Amino acid sequence: MTRRVHRPGVVSGVQVGDELPPLRLAVTATVIVAGAIATRDFMPVHHDRDYANRQGAPDIFMNILSDTAYSSRFLTDWAGPDAMIRRLGIRLGVPVFPGDTLCYTGVVTRVAREDGETVVEVEFRATCDRGDHVTGTAELQLPMEDTNPFR
Amino acid sequence: MSDDEQFAALVGMPVSTRGPAVAPDPVNLPMIRHWAAAFEDWNPVYLDPEAAARSRFGSIVAPPLMLQTWTMATPRITGIAERGGSPVEPDGEGPLAVFDRAGYTGTLATNSEFEILRYLHLGDVVRATTVVAEVSPEKDTRLGKGRFVTWVTTYTDQHGEVVGRQRFRILKFRPPHPEP
Repeated sequence: MTRRVHRPGVVSGVQVGDELPPLRLAVTATVIVAGAIATRDFMPVHHDRDYANRQGAPDIFMNILSDTAYSSRFLTDWAGPDAMIRRLGIRLGVPVFPGDTLCYTGVVTRVAREDGETVVEVEFRATCDRGDHVTGTAELQLPMEDTNPFR
Repeated sequence: MSDDEQFAALVGMPVSTRGPAVAPDPVNLPMIRHWAAAFEDWNPVYLDPEAAARSRFGSIVAPPLMLQTWTMATPRITGIAERGGSPVEPDGEGPLAVFDRAGYTGTLATNSEFEILRYLHLGDVVRATTVVAEVSPEKDTRLGKGRFVTWVTTYTDQHGEVVGRQRFRILKFRPPHPEP
């Protein structure tokens, strides 16, 4: 198994307007089914194309639990292992199907100091060719640099 | 009672008449590993005990957005399509049955908002209590006529402490080609 090692550094000196490194995801049927089952979502629209067709969808589509999962990965890939997600909210736009490419992008919209930690708000979205799939907001708590064991 | 009144009456009702959903298994490494592999999220605090020990969390934690996964119903695969995609036997008395009886048999999630109070550790047992918060009037959507339903879930641990909350919105719609 190849395990991607996290950059041990953590964001430092975060400022409003900072952009997060984009996350690109080539969506396949495998990606959709793996995400649905790993989140224990067995709704057939996420694994059975015939069923999805009867519901009016051209193909199986990604489930919302996978969207919140990828959103959290996008955020902590940037913020590092010692970050804590305190809030994460998403709204779904167009569905994503096998063959789509999703691109997550985000920007820091607020930075505050609270109890010796840095609290940041990020606005993010995941888009494909047909438009926004996910738009969301999250709040993360980051350790101050001098107390961060992953520095 | 008009349709709108019938649906407004659902607000405040528990989504399940069977009581809170209790996770069939405590927070555990095999399910975390499965999740991490599916989303290729190799944050070391989810799987590496040494890295987790150095972190603010002190020991392995579950990915915070797995919160909803722990209490998802164990599915009965046989007949899942015939049950309108419901992984479990439909709760004939629950609020969602009112939508099915009115022909809104399709389901599409549209919003999910989490508040995470603490990360879960191995062995924690999650319980989810879900209440209907809002039902919209009937709307024309790209999928057909439907109503948006918002519910609020409170997640607690084995000590009854709240570990997180979620607002979840779905569209219940009339599918163009309903199940026979």
